[in-house]
Amino acid sequence: MADFERRSNGPRGGGGVRKKRYRDDDDFDRRPQRRRYEEPLVVKVRRQLLTIAESAARRPEDDAKSIAKTVAEHYDDEEIKKTFIDLTLDLIVEQPLKIPFLATIALVANGYKPELVAELLKETGENLQRYIDLGGWREVKLLLRFLGCLQSIFEGEGVFAILEELFARAVDLQTTSSEDLLGLELVKVILFTIPYIMASSVTGFEPQASALLEKTDIIASTPHTLVDLVNPFAIKNSSEQTVESVIGLLQRQLQDESTRGWELTCIPRPWKVMQEETAADEPAPAGPGPKYSFPDIKVPSPVPNGPRALFPEVYLSVYANQEMETVPPTSDISSSLLRDALVDTINILDYNRIAAAKFLIDVDCYFSHNIFVKRATPFDKLRDIAGDRSTWKPEDVAVDAVFSQLFQLPTPHHKLVYHHSVLTECCKIAPAAIAPSLGRAIRFLYGSLETIDLDLGHRFLDWFAHHLSNFGFTWKWSEWIGDLDLPEVHPKMAFIIGALDKEIRLSFAQRIRGTLPDPYHHLITEGKEKDTPDFKYASDATPYSKEGKEIMQLIRKKAIDEEIQPLIDAIEEQAKSLGVEDPMLPSTDAFVTSICFVGSKSLSHVLSCIERNKERLLAIGPKSASARRQIITSTMEYWADQPGIAINIIDKLLNYTILTPLSVIEWALIDNLAAGTILAKTHIYEMVSATVGKVTNRLRQIVAARTQPGLYEPQLSVLNETLTREQADMRSLFKLIEDTIISVASGSNDGMMERGDSSGTLPEDEVIRQWGQRWLRTFRRKAAVEESFIAEAMATAAPIGTMAPAVSEDPSASTTTMTDAPDAPADGDLDVADVDGTL
Amino acid sequence: MVLQREATIDRLDRPSAYYVGKNKKRRYNSDRDDADRQDDPTSSLKNATTLYVGNLSFYTTEEQIHELFAKCGEIKRLVMGLDRFHKTPCGFCFVEYYNHQDALDCLKYIGGTKLDERIIRTDLDPGFEEGRQYGRGKSGGQVRDEYREEYDPGRGGYGRAYEEQRKREEEDYGKGR
Repeated sequence: MADFERRSNGPRGGGGVRKKRYRDDDDFDRRPQRRRYEEPLVVKVRRQLLTIAESAARRPEDDAKSIAKTVAEHYDDEEIKKTFIDLTLDLIVEQPLKIPFLATIALVANGYKPELVAELLKETGENLQRYIDLGGWREVKLLLRFLGCLQSIFEGEGVFAILEELFARAVDLQTTSSEDLLGLELVKVILFTIPYIMASSVTGFEPQASALLEKTDIIASTPHTLVDLVNPFAIKNSSEQTVESVIGLLQRQLQDESTRGWELTCIPRPWKVMQEETAADEPAPAGPGPKYSFPDIKVPSPVPNGPRALFPEVYLSVYANQEMETVPPTSDISSSLLRDALVDTINILDYNRIAAAKFLIDVDCYFSHNIFVKRATPFDKLRDIAGDRSTWKPEDVAVDAVFSQLFQLPTPHHKLVYHHSVLTECCKIAPAAIAPSLGRAIRFLYGSLETIDLDLGHRFLDWFAHHLSNFGFTWKWSEWIGDLDLPEVHPKMAFIIGALDKEIRLSFAQRIRGTLPDPYHHLITEGKEKDTPDFKYASDATPYSKEGKEIMQLIRKKAIDEEIQPLIDAIEEQAKSLGVEDPMLPSTDAFVTSICFVGSKSLSHVLSCIERNKERLLAIGPKSASARRQIITSTMEYWADQPGIAINIIDKLLNYTILTPLSVIEWALIDNLAAGTILAKTHIYEMVSATVGKVTNRLRQIVAARTQPGLYEPQLSVLNETLTREQADMRSLFKLIEDTIISVASGSNDGMMERGDSSGTLPEDEVIRQWGQRWLRTFRRKAAVEESFIAEAMATAAPIGTMAPAVSEDPSASTTTMTDAPDAPADGDLDVADVDGTL
Repeated sequence: MVLQREATIDRLDRPSAYYVGKNKKRRYNSDRDDADRQDDPTSSLKNATTLYVGNLSFYTTEEQIHELFAKCGEIKRLVMGLDRFHKTPCGFCFVEYYNHQDALDCLKYIGGTKLDERIIRTDLDPGFEEGRQYGRGKSGGQVRDEYREEYDPGRGGYGRAYEEQRKREEEDYGKGR
């Protein structure tokens, strides 16, 4: 068959492609049907395996049995066997929700063709070994989960033996350093494996589980020093205890579960159905099949860690404290098990957000059926659910998992926008089910604005505006009307102002005004609807208006710099005669405001204006630090109504090195601190954190260059010098932030003291103090994360003085690797100016 | 951390079928030798940092595009697609990032979502060249806007070819009266 030959280059779709000339005949439909095309067996197995448990309409047990039997019967068909084994292994690490079902197939197959299962176990073991050697602990966890579900076909201790070995490594790591995080990761792997063993078809392992739990307790329950750093809530209520880590919580839940006979209600048990049914009608030829010794795995000591930096994790739910329980409470182990499986799914499938969303929507297919209410059950209807039946909403559990990642501190696995896109897809797939869940999540987050971490508050704002932009900007703004009376510095009011600004940036003012109830309209000022803000020098009342206008005309005409100079001189002369301390301030103002005005048409326009006047702009800073900050003032003032454009321009000016990161921070937190009120402005946080991000990114590039393999003297010393210098710069940047904000956080800021009745007890003062505390916390964390990144990377870097091997077989080899690295030129002079930002 | 062969789920960060198809065709039409023909049409995209962005409204601004696309990484350059004759936006642009990975992330996270309330299309592009910012349609815009039968208020109403025809008919009708 022609189709058959073609199959090899398209394993996914497989055959089924008929030649066109045959199809033409088929149009005549009264003719007897041609013999139906039958898909090759391997394609069928592949399809069944890929879609196992995906549909609520099919019983996964039936598919499991059919796959197991087919593959066992065709054990001699290499292609079928290879497809089955390869695909099972891929599915384990790519679609972890299916693991219990994949294991069930193996269990059934063991009764028909033990050789097949032996081969599968061998290859699983090889994969496990490879991931252990790479430090891929998520994959190790998933492969162990698969093996844990198969505990009944292992001889002796089975999976427990390797769990014990991993635990021994964790103990080593923990005793070496009290700050160790890798050991905690190993404990996490152990703890998340135990429930799947205990929910498997095996019995009699309770003592082993309890013994292991007793040992992990000391590691899992001791709070790590960094756990406060990743707490999503910055301001603690006095009633709250210290925050519990994910493994601390899981340890407690497992201990509870061990006293309740390992109920583990949420884990599906497809093997049980199979056992009952096969026992009843057609027992497998080999019974449950033979047992195997556990694959031989060597756990290196010490164990390595993968590329991702580890941090403690805490459990966050946006559905905590509702009047009806829509997600498992933290007292129930289901909260951790569901979250873990969904979070892995989300983080693994970032390459296909639609598939990720589909899994989330179908979450109820992959766990015990009775733990959820029917999909899309309205919140209000949950009250009518009788007795002790579950009120957990699958969509709430799914959405909760996405938010837990969006709000992961210090940073999620993937870009924030990935999580936005998953939520968007969820909403597209099941709008009626998801939209109300998102609504309740938004209300929870909005209600938490006063206490939530500053960075997370900003992530919420960014997601909220972006999400609405995908759904016609519809939101029930009416429910927040009461908050419009709050002062502008209140976190809720700051959120509303910030969110509307972000919406406008993605759309335009008039459109957003149309989506708002009347009481909000005053927030969309006339200025926001203006495409081109007024040029202040157009008014003769503005000082230096004559020169300002002329400078603007010259810039518009693309005049050469020499023509502008006399006007700059004229302004500075006048300023001097008026007794202005720094005459460069008014001249810079006129120059930069003119650039903004002439370039107001679009980002490209302003950038080409900047490009043409680059030399003059670059010369300002070295002459006067305050004139450099005047560049920021002029830009921010010109675009006062559209701050998004201003901070974008400032970002580009940083790339041109016309501004320095330090000048941006000084401008915001010294010149314009305004008794701390500036800390409530969301675009200021955006600008400051983008500026800090530029510095830390650059430093990470330098670290990457410094730690690249095959680097020798003299480059090592050159790069090291750059690193030391820039690290010092970064530290002084963070120190400046710390020093300026600490006074606000403690309430001792001079400006604050002078405000109002100088008592420091105005109702707003407490709000501002809290802004200070939240800023402080966020930037202290950023500083700590960078320091630990550098320390960790440098721990394994080649020391200074390492010389190239004396005689190299190919002298060009080492130099090529260095010059080829695009982001890491080895000349020690990474130039941020090559980030030219030109359009 | 990937040890496997081929993902069990399709990836969204691949060049589109349109790109692959277009480049295949081109290769077959040229007189190059066979070795050249077997080249993967996507090899020029291996380190691509540029994206073609389509189905924009004519009214969408650079700032709006920047606001959305910067969510995937710092933007190096943004080139608006312009009507060849009028030099006005005609519904597409090129976004260039500093990093290849940012461009891939953009395909995964932003392609197929909305900007300015339209579903936008993103495709990996080998890189912007002068001249490509102009529409290739007969009347100066994009080809797809010549022959559109539906009314799209964000992209100049009906297809321009039809628009012309309708105008002519209307005028004739007026003269006839």
